[in-house]
Amino acid sequence: MNLIVSALKKDDLYNKKIIERIQQNINNVEIIYAEDMDINGCIGCNRCWLVTPGVCTIKDDYEKLLIKFLQSKQVIFISDLKLGFVSYKLKNIIDRLLPLATMNVRFKNGQMRHYLRYKKHYKMGLIYKGNGNQEFLEKWLERVMINFDGTSIGTYNIENEEEILNELINY
Amino acid sequence: MNLLIISCTPRIKEKSNTDKILDEFKKGYESYGNTTETLYLYKRNEWETIRKKFYENDNILFALPLYVECIPGIMAEYLESLKPKQKNNTKIGFLLQGGFGEASQLRCCESYLETLPSLLGCEYNGTLLKGNMFAVSFMDGKIRKKMVEPFYNMGKYYAQNNYFNKEVVNDFAKPEYFSKKVIFLNNILSPLNKFFIKVFAKKLGCKGSLNDKPYQNYVKR
Repeated sequence: MNLIVSALKKDDLYNKKIIERIQQNINNVEIIYAEDMDINGCIGCNRCWLVTPGVCTIKDDYEKLLIKFLQSKQVIFISDLKLGFVSYKLKNIIDRLLPLATMNVRFKNGQMRHYLRYKKHYKMGLIYKGNGNQEFLEKWLERVMINFDGTSIGTYNIENEEEILNELINY
Repeated sequence: MNLLIISCTPRIKEKSNTDKILDEFKKGYESYGNTTETLYLYKRNEWETIRKKFYENDNILFALPLYVECIPGIMAEYLESLKPKQKNNTKIGFLLQGGFGEASQLRCCESYLETLPSLLGCEYNGTLLKGNMFAVSFMDGKIRKKMVEPFYNMGKYYAQNNYFNKEVVNDFAKPEYFSKKVIFLNNILSPLNKFFIKVFAKKLGCKGSLNDKPYQNYVKR
């Protein structure tokens, strides 16, 4: 399954258009809208690492999302850019990925990394709406994925539909 | 001079590493007769006041923990609720701390923070960064004191210079990467380290294994 997690409003015209194009070109796409979900920010309590390993202490819709992440072949996030970064709605979702890692750390490629909880190669990409520093967004997503033993599919401006479709089909 | 400090951690003060670091930093900053005022984003009912203070003050420090390679969601939410300042005389510095030991782990977030003040109509005053801060709140007494003490001098430094110079910060935050020797030693000591974490987790009330896989049945590889 290919998962799209959109932090844009459902009726956002760009959002509608890109999702329609993706659905026309790629099979087995599931879409989740942040606006339909109750996702709070991570409170940094570390309980998912130290007390109830793998389970977040905040009981909202995060569990549904976490399960979807584990089931997906690839995940595409869609967000508008606020102050050059993804919106807080998406950052809250990303921050809540922590239960996927464990407390224990090791060195990988010269830097400290957490051991991952599940054996899975995560692939995640970002489609962004608005102006921002593409180079920074690329670097950020790459580093996010290194932390989860995964691969970044890249970051794309929502207006570059053809590029997005080409890349997604290749992955 | 007065420094407005906005603490951007979602943790309550008692459990926050950022705030224990800030306590030392503030002592140093105030040692020259300066004053500080600290506001906390985790107190959501105070956001209206915290916004007002942001507009009123022209010397501001954002203190934050690294959350997945950038600013925590709660800080992003607060920043999104601000309007850029019209008069370009506000200076914003950052104090960024993280759990991993190497300064290199904080650079991605730092590169974002460098761009942030101008988007808020302000000037960038540099970023003080430091890793290896995961255990500050868990430790007590002397060990904690030793971990946060260096921030006292950085508080003094910021009071004198009103800017975090990159070279000074790099020296403070080192190592940028761990040496091969340290990595080798760490790998040897890893089982011992895991054992200590296990014991510690038990003390906190952990009943299972730290490697539990509660959602294993859902994993599609």
